[in-house]
This record gives sequence, C-alpha cells and structure tokens, in this order.
Amino acid sequence: MLSRTAEGLFWMARYVERMSNTARLLDAGRRLDALPRRAGAPDSEWTSIVIASGCSGSFPGDPKTADVASVCEHLVRDETNPSSIVSCVYAARRNAKAVRPAITSDVWEAINQTYVELNQNLEAELDRKNLSAFLDWVRGRAALIYGARGETMFRDDGHSFAELGKWIERADATARLLDVKYHVLLPDVADVGGGLDYLQWTQILRAANSATAFRHVYGRSVDANGVVDFLVLNRECPRSLRTAVNHLYGELQTLVSKHDAPQNDLLQRVRADYAQLMELTLEEIFEEGLHEWLTQFIMKINIIASTTADVFGFGAQPAVQKMQVAQ
Amino acid sequence: MYNEMFQGPELRSEYNLIKAWFEKHGPKALLERQEEADALFRRIGITFAVYTEGGDPDRLIPFDMVPRVFNDSEWSIVERGSIQRAKALNCFIADVYGERKIVEAGIVPESMLLNNPAYLKQMNGFRPPNDIWAHIIGVDIVRTEEDQFYVLEDNCRTPSGVSYVLQNREVMSRIFPELFEGGHVRPVDGYGEHLATAMQDCAPPNCKGKPTLALLTPGQYNSAYYEHYFLADLMGIELVEGTDLFVEDDKVFMRTTKGAEQVHVLYRRIDDDFMDPEVFREDSALGVPGIIRAMEAGNVTLVNAPGTGIADDKAIYIHVPDMIRFYLNEEPILPNVPTYRCDQPDDLAYVLDNLAELVVKEVHGSGGYGMLIGPTSSPEEIEDFRAKLIEHPEAYIAQPTLSLSSAPILTEDGMSPRHVDLRPFVISGKTTNLIPSGLSRVALTEGSLVVNSSQGGGVKDTWVLTKGDSHAE
Repeated sequence: MLSRTAEGLFWMARYVERMSNTARLLDAGRRLDALPRRAGAPDSEWTSIVIASGCSGSFPGDPKTADVASVCEHLVRDETNPSSIVSCVYAARRNAKAVRPAITSDVWEAINQTYVELNQNLEAELDRKNLSAFLDWVRGRAALIYGARGETMFRDDGHSFAELGKWIERADATARLLDVKYHVLLPDVADVGGGLDYLQWTQILRAANSATAFRHVYGRSVDANGVVDFLVLNRECPRSLRTAVNHLYGELQTLVSKHDAPQNDLLQRVRADYAQLMELTLEEIFEEGLHEWLTQFIMKINIIASTTADVFGFGAQPAVQKMQVAQ
Repeated sequence: MYNEMFQGPELRSEYNLIKAWFEKHGPKALLERQEEADALFRRIGITFAVYTEGGDPDRLIPFDMVPRVFNDSEWSIVERGSIQRAKALNCFIADVYGERKIVEAGIVPESMLLNNPAYLKQMNGFRPPNDIWAHIIGVDIVRTEEDQFYVLEDNCRTPSGVSYVLQNREVMSRIFPELFEGGHVRPVDGYGEHLATAMQDCAPPNCKGKPTLALLTPGQYNSAYYEHYFLADLMGIELVEGTDLFVEDDKVFMRTTKGAEQVHVLYRRIDDDFMDPEVFREDSALGVPGIIRAMEAGNVTLVNAPGTGIADDKAIYIHVPDMIRFYLNEEPILPNVPTYRCDQPDDLAYVLDNLAELVVKEVHGSGGYGMLIGPTSSPEEIEDFRAKLIEHPEAYIAQPTLSLSSAPILTEDGMSPRHVDLRPFVISGKTTNLIPSGLSRVALTEGSLVVNSSQGGGVKDTWVLTKGDSHAE
C-alpha cells in the first residue's frame, strides 16, 4: 500500500474520532451548564471543556472567560482550530477523497454526506436548543461512518491503519479528559469529595459517554477512584485507555506481521507500554500522581503515533530517509 | 439539420425502444427520475470541480436521460474511422521524433513542427514500446447527415471524459433496467480491460516480469480527479501523486508501507510541462524529477508519451487526411471539416469576408474558449474578432459552421432536439480498439452549438445497437 494511502486512512479515522470526541465534550458542557450551582462558586465548566479539548492554546482570549457562545464558536465553527467539528469534517473528507480507491463507496458516501449536511446544519445559529440536536447529529454521523467502515471494508492493511488512527485519537482524548480535573481547581480543599467534586467527575464520565455504565459496573456513586479505574483500567469500557492500547497493540501486531524487519522495534516499544498498562494498579497511578501519570501516557501515545508514521513512510522523519530499493 | 431520432415526420426505427419508454413513463415522471439520477451521480461522487469562489466546489455535469442511439452500420463508420485515425496519428508522432519522412515527402513543412509549442525536442530519437506514443486518443466527431461524419479535432495528450461514458450507462441501467432487457445495447464494460491490457502490452524493454501499473494524478483538487480515481479503481492499480514517486538508478519507484516498489507503466494524467522538473518546468511540484531519464533508459513507459501534443494541434489537424494516405496507404474514412488557415493570404481574405458564416478558432486553444461562432455573434463581437484576426492571423483557423446533428433531450414539454457531438476513446497497445460507445456531449440550450461541459453542456448515455438488431422493436 502507498505510504500516502496509509497516512490518509490513519488521519481520516483520527478526524472522525476527534469530531465525535469534540461533540461529546460539548454535550458534557451543555449538560453541566444546566446544573444548579452554589452561590459564589466559579462557573468553570466551559473553561474545563476548552482545556479537555486541548484547545486552550488556540482559544481566542482567556479560557477562564469561556462561555457557551465562545466555546461553541471555537469548537464547532472555527476553521483555524484543527479540533473544531468543522475542521474535523473537512479534514476527514479531504483525507477520504485522497484515498478514495482504498475505501468503499459506503464509507465515502457516509463521510461525503456528513460534509454536505454539515453546511446545511450550520446555516442556523447554534442556540441551546439547536446545539443539542446538532451534537446528536454529529455523534450519529460518526456512528454511521464507523458502521460503514466496520461492515464494508476489507480487513487489510488499510483497515489496520484506520483502526490505529481511531485508537490513538481515542487514547489521547480519554487521557486529556481525565486530566481536566487537574486543571479545574476546586474552590476549597474541603470541597474534595464534596458535591462539586462529584459533579465534576460525573461530567467527565458523561463526556466519555459512560455515566450510566458506571453505575452498572460499580454499583456505587461516582468518585475519583471509580472514574479513573473505569476510564484507565477497565478492559470492557470502550473508551478506557486499556481498551485503546489493547487494540492499538493488536493492529500494530497485525501490520508488523505483514511487513519486514525495521518495524519490529516499534512493536517492542508498544509491547512494553502495553504490558506495563496491563499490570498497572490504581494505587500506582495515584502514587505517581494522576496528572503526572497522564502526562507521561499522552507523551507515550504521541511517540507511538509518530514512530508508526515514520516506520510506514509517512511521518515527518521517515525511518529510512532514502527508501530502501528492493531489487 | 439532421435529426437522429426523426426522418421528417417518421421515427427512425433505432429509436423505437426510446419512444416506447418515453410514452410509457411520460415527461413528468421521467423528470422526477432525473432527480434520482442526479442523486446517484452525487452519491457515487461523479463531479467535476469548478474553480469559482464560494458554493460547492464539486458540481455535477448535467446528465440528460434520453440515450443517443447508433445502429451497427453507423457505428462501424465511427469505429473504423477512429481506429484508422489513431493509427495514422501514432505513425505521425513516431515520424516527427524519428526520420521525418513526411517532411521529406513535402506533406508537412518542418517549420510547422519545430515552431510548434507542443513539439518537444527532447523526444527526438526516442522510440516507445511498439512505437505507440498516444495510447489513448479521443476523436471529436460531429455528424451532419445519415452517413456523414466529420472529425472536428483529435485529442492526443490526456483526453478526459471516459468515466462519464461508463457511469452514464451505469446510472441508466440502475434506474431503467427494462431498457437493457433483451440485450439490444452493446455493453461498455470492456474499457478497463482494454486499457490495462494496452498498458501491459507496452511494458518498457527492461521489464522482464509482469509490469506494475499505476495512474498519476495531480491530486484531488484537479477537475478530473474523479475520473482518475475511477479509472485506477476500475483497473485495480495504484492512484499515485508526484510525491508518491521517486527515481533512483533511472528507475521509478513508489513509496509504500513496505518500502519502495518499482512502477513500469504509468498512465499519467498531468501535462507534459509538469512531468519532470529536470527536463520541463522547473517549478513543477506535480511531477517526478528524473522520470524522463527513466523513460529513456527503458525502465518506465509513460502513457501517453510526452510530446504527443504535436499531433492534435489545429495547424497539424489539416494534414491528418494526408497522413492517413501517406502512412497507411488508405483513404480517410472520416473526413476533416474543411479548414481555412488564416496564415495563408487567400484563406484569410475569404475568412474576413465571411466571418458571419464561419467558426474561427485559436490554433493552440481548447475547450471552446477564444472562439467566434459567426452566425450566433453580434456585429460588435464579429468586429472585435476581426481586429484580433488581422493582428495575429497565424493564431487562427476557420471552418464553416456545420449543421450539427441533433438528438432528443428531456424537457418539461417532452422531448426536444439539441445539438450533439461524440468523442470515442481509441486505445492502442499491441492492437487498436475502442468500446462500442463514446462521450456524447449535448448543448442544453436550444439552437446552441457549444457542447463543452465547462460552458454548460451536458452528457448522455450513448448506445450502439447489436448487429442485426439495428431496427430493434
């Protein structure tokens, strides 16, 4: 497969996943915005959404002043923000079009139709009522695209590269989401374990689409230990870091088995990270500090992403500068 | 004007099937199905990009649902004539970059070759596999009478449009399967097979095993990107961009996830100028540095070869009938349109006296731009053009305004005749052939002679009836 095709499939899937994650985040913000809050408590929900999306750098103005209008503008419409829903849809379609022979008509039509409908959906102002309908639509489109990919694509290298993109993006997004708590300081030490703390952890679960599942799995109310266990260590949760890394490792193993020698270094590295994560306990995470551990994890995921790209010839620094010429 | 559906008041029997279909559905129901067809085209992604500001950059070429029908004997003229022409044009290009016998024979003056912008001196002495230079040639044909066809121009560089031929049929057969029951219409499925076989047959001399084929596109922002993707997919070959390829050791490789893979035959859909910054335009980011070296070393075949534009220039066009006689020792099956060369004083004088009746075209132009259609132009437009003509007579040729045949299109009031042309695609490898269909472009405005899609023309499914079925009931 052309390296450019692998790259296109990888990024097509990453952008679809990012589009869906951004929509989930906004939905969490929207829900929290509607909750009653204690008089005098800072309303930092929209600020935390900006931070969780990884967009505090690109956010125009001080993220502390973020409100529903400015966050929606930046995370939905702003074409200069690569994580905005508009940017994600455009980028997913651009990548899909560039690799058109490598995807099925079903996948292309699902993505192209998303692009066509997006422009129609954004003609109207996104007020509170429109916003929830719009976010539902985005998540529905993501589900449709995933369905088309899962049901119609060959389980070949192309499928593996797309899956890699999806799981890398998801691991990164879940880790960032968890890290939000670090950035949203509670007003008072006494608040830890209190009502606001509870609401914030619930918000994180909601953004991960896992609030209901949590009760099913743990049978207790939300707390820090439970959320971290669920979103990092739970093997059944589709958005947990363990699940993501497990799939990532599997896809890389499949790819490497079909390719030659130099790729094995990559597999060694992922295997080490994978083994570590599989044996990790909750205590160890909190001992290191959740924020510190997540920072390390995000770094590792990004190294895996860039090494994968280099190894398969589409990174910033191809592993073999001048490609090996097979005779 | 020759009407392809009616002879006077009489329906031509080739259109029996169409008439029955039309009467069964009625114009209103058919126009509703038209929306279904458009939705299909858009879903499949058959669009062409139009470079305008704002709006949807991907437009549909208007598709008219009434098929255009040829019977077997009519098609035979088109088929034999196009093949004959493609053979002569390939002989001519080989001769231009070879011995130049045609110059020696006094048929084409050497200066006309050397001063032509499409002439590439770098190709002198080069011999492509099987001496085929233009593997794909689109011949633009118009019809004026029952058996009278004329060639309007030849397209020997990278002719486009064949994807519409195949997809128009695909869409028609999805929406109206009943039209194709009974096998009256010859299928068009063979195109991908023909082209892939021709490419394999023209593998470069140093390729010993099975050649690897690829299609080179300028990328998704090119107006014909859809066709590039479609053809690559049809043949099951990689669709590559310039940055996917590199040359090492005078061989062409594509960058794959498994390392470098050699490419032997490259169907390139980018212009000569952009092919190789080492040889042509230095600023080209679309091409592949060193690819011409690789071609000369016998390691890659370019389809079509560089330099084929010399054969489809309007100044050279005038000589094609003589080429057919000279190289093939045959009489032309499809005549040229009589053409006045404005660089000849006698011709120029005649043209200036008769501008209102003539079509004047730029020698090196294409796509219906920069031309004058006398009978439909205002006196001011004619005078403006007269000034241009007097200033640069060598840049123009003129032809009588042909009475293009018409075929029916669907309108709200029923079927209505519009002017059409035809572009069959001739493929040359070890053999020369074409599929039984071509691109029928149709002027959608009543009375208009301009069929170019860039100027609002549409397309139609084009049928060739099976032999002995020419009067299908």
